[in-house]
Amino acid sequence: MGSRSVMLDRIRRACAGADGGELPSRLPDFPNYSDPVAQFRQEFEAVGGVFLDGRGSGQLAESLSTVIRDSDSTQVYWESEAMFPKYSIPYQRDKAGQGSVKLLLYSRHPDLKVEFPLSLESRPYGKSALAESSLSISPARFGIAETGTIVHEVGPGIGRLFSLLPPARLALLSERDLIMNSAEFFADRLAEQRGSVLTLITGPSRTADIEKTLVVGVHGPTKMFVILTP
Amino acid sequence: MRAKINRNVQAALADQQLQKNLRSTLGKSVRMRDESVAEVPNWEQLTQYARDVKNQTLSRLDHYLEMLEQKVTAQGGKVIWAETGQDAVQFIVDLARQKKIGKLVKSKSMLSEEIHLNSMLERARIESIETDLGEYIVQLAGETPSHLLAPALHKSRQEIADLFVRELGMEPSDDVGDITSTARRILREHFLTARMGVTGVNFAVAETGTIVIVENEGNARLSASVPQIHVALMGIEKVIPRTRDLAVFLKVLIRSATGQKMTSYVNFINGPRRSEELAGPDEYYLVLVDNGRSKILADRFLRQTLACIRCGACQNICPVYQRIGGHAYESTYQGPIGAILTPQLTSHAAAPEHAFASSLCGACQEVCPVKIEIPHILLKLREQSQSEKKTKATHFPLEKLVMGLWAQVMCSPALYAGFGRWTRRAWRVLGKKGRLSWLWAPLSRWSKHRDVPRLAPRSFRQLYRSLEE
Repeated sequence: MGSRSVMLDRIRRACAGADGGELPSRLPDFPNYSDPVAQFRQEFEAVGGVFLDGRGSGQLAESLSTVIRDSDSTQVYWESEAMFPKYSIPYQRDKAGQGSVKLLLYSRHPDLKVEFPLSLESRPYGKSALAESSLSISPARFGIAETGTIVHEVGPGIGRLFSLLPPARLALLSERDLIMNSAEFFADRLAEQRGSVLTLITGPSRTADIEKTLVVGVHGPTKMFVILTP
Repeated sequence: MRAKINRNVQAALADQQLQKNLRSTLGKSVRMRDESVAEVPNWEQLTQYARDVKNQTLSRLDHYLEMLEQKVTAQGGKVIWAETGQDAVQFIVDLARQKKIGKLVKSKSMLSEEIHLNSMLERARIESIETDLGEYIVQLAGETPSHLLAPALHKSRQEIADLFVRELGMEPSDDVGDITSTARRILREHFLTARMGVTGVNFAVAETGTIVIVENEGNARLSASVPQIHVALMGIEKVIPRTRDLAVFLKVLIRSATGQKMTSYVNFINGPRRSEELAGPDEYYLVLVDNGRSKILADRFLRQTLACIRCGACQNICPVYQRIGGHAYESTYQGPIGAILTPQLTSHAAAPEHAFASSLCGACQEVCPVKIEIPHILLKLREQSQSEKKTKATHFPLEKLVMGLWAQVMCSPALYAGFGRWTRRAWRVLGKKGRLSWLWAPLSRWSKHRDVPRLAPRSFRQLYRSLEE
C-alpha cells in the first residue's frame, strides 16, 4: 500500500540523526513483601474483592460453597478440565462431552453447597448461556501481591467471553503462583503470551464517570472472588 | 475550523453548575493522584525511566513500528497505515460496508475523537455506540468529551439522570447506581448484537506485537471480545519497545490518572482469536495513525510532546482548566496537554490561542509522569506563533515600546526604585478602603476580573536598610 511507505519515509526522515539515548537496561526497584499473601489480600479487598483462604484441609470445598452462596449462584461454569488436577479437586464428568472443545463444563448446586467429587455436565458454549449463568470459575496463571491482581489468560479450549459475561467470577490462585510485583511479572514471568488475550484483573468492574462516585459492576462482573489454594 | 478559547471564558466562569462540577471532581482527582504518588518512594526514578524509554523509542520510531507490524501480522492481525484521520475513518467505513455492518460498539479512544470518527460514521449511516459510561453520556447528550479520562466530568449526576429519563425512558432517579445499571442493560444488548468493535490503544509492544488497553469498566474488553471484528486505533507514538517497560508505564500511568494502584482490567491483545480458542473476533485490524504526529516528531525539542501517555494529571491540576473546563478549548485535547498538542497537530492558525491559554505556573510539568516540559513547549509555540504572525501584526509596536521601557527600568536600580515609589504612591491615592479594583484602559482588561494586589507600604530595599540599622 502506498501510504505505508510514504508514512514510514516521513517518520524515518523526522527521526534521522536523532539521539534518543539508550534504552534503560535495568528496571527501577519494585516493592517486595515479607508476607505476600497478606499483601495480596489487603490490596484485593481494598478494591472490593472477596478473598477466601482454601489452603487448609477441607477448606476448598467450604470456600467454594461460600462463594456460591454469596454470589447467589446455582449454576457454575468451569473454565477447563485442567483446573481440577491443578487444584486437586475431585470430580466426575458425563461421557457425552469428553474430548469435545465446543462445550462448557457445568456444575449445578441447587442447595448452594459444594460436595466433592464434583459432578460435571457439558453445555454448549454460547454468549447467552454465559451471560445468564451466575458464576464462572477460572485458574489464575499468577497473582501479583503488590496490587492484588490476578493474571488470567485465554488459551486453547478457552474463549474471551468466559470470564467476562457472567455477573460473578471466581479465580483459583495457587500460593505457588503468587509473585511479588509487576516488575517480576513483566520482566521474568511473562516470557510468552500463549493465547490471544491476557488480562490483569484487579477486583470487579467499576466506574467513577459520574461525579467521581465509585460504582461497582458496570460492564464486567459485579462480584469478584479469589480462593487461595496450596 | 479555528479553535478559540477566549470567547468562551466568560460563559464558562458564569456557568455556576459547571463551576460546581469542576470544583468537586477536579479537587478529588488531584488529591487521589497525590496520595497515590506519595506512596511510591522511587517515583522520580520511575518517571525518568518512562521518559528515557519514550525518548529512545521516538528517536527510532520507524524501526519499532516496522517491528510491531511484523509481529502483529505474524499473529494473524492486519496492520493499516493511515497518514491522516480521514484515511483511518475511510478504512473503517469501507470495512464496515464490505462486511455489511450497520452497527459497531466502541470503547474509549481519544484518537477516535481527534479524527471525528463518530460523525463520519453517522454520515455513512453506520451506527456507532460509545460504551464507556462517560462517553455514552456525552454521546446521548450530543456533546464531546471535556476531559481525557472523565468525558462527562462537566455534568452533574442530576443532569445525567435527567438526560437518561429523557433519552432512555429511565425511571426518575438520581442514584448513580441506577443510572449505571440502566446503561449496563442497554449497552449489554448492543455488545451482544454488534458485529464490529472499535477500541483505542494505550501501549503497543513492538517486540511481541501486543496492544495494551487500560480500563476499569470492562467495556474495552467486551468491545475486543464479543464482535467478530476488532479494529484497534492507535497513534504512531503509542509504540514501546519491550514488555518489561510496561511494569513502569502502567504504574506511572494509572497512579497519575486515577490514583489507583491498578485498574480493574489491563488487557493484552495478541491478534484475533486463535483457531483452538472458543470465542473472540475472527478478524483483527490495527490502524496506525499519523495525522500530524510525524511533523511534531521532526522537531528535536517539541518531539517530547509525543511522549504523552494521556493520564490527564496536567488537566486536573491546571488552574486554567480548573476554571474553564474542557469545552472552552474547542478542541479534542484540552488543558495543558491540549494547549501544546492542538496547535502542533493542526497549525497555529487553526488554534491561535492555545499556546497562550496558560499562566506558565508549571504545575503541569511537575505532575507529568513522563516529564514533558509543558511550560517550555508553550513558550516555544508562542514564539513560533508570533513570528508567523509578525508580518500582519498591528499591536506589535506598542508592545515593543512598553517592553523596551520596562527593560530600561529593570536595568537601572535608580529607575526601578523610582518606579516602585511612584507605583506605591499611585496605589495609595487610587485605592479605596484598602482595595484597588479598577485601572484605565487598556489595563482595565486585567482589572475587570480582579483587584490590583495590595502593594507593600515599604520596598524591599527600605526594609533591608532598616534591618541593617
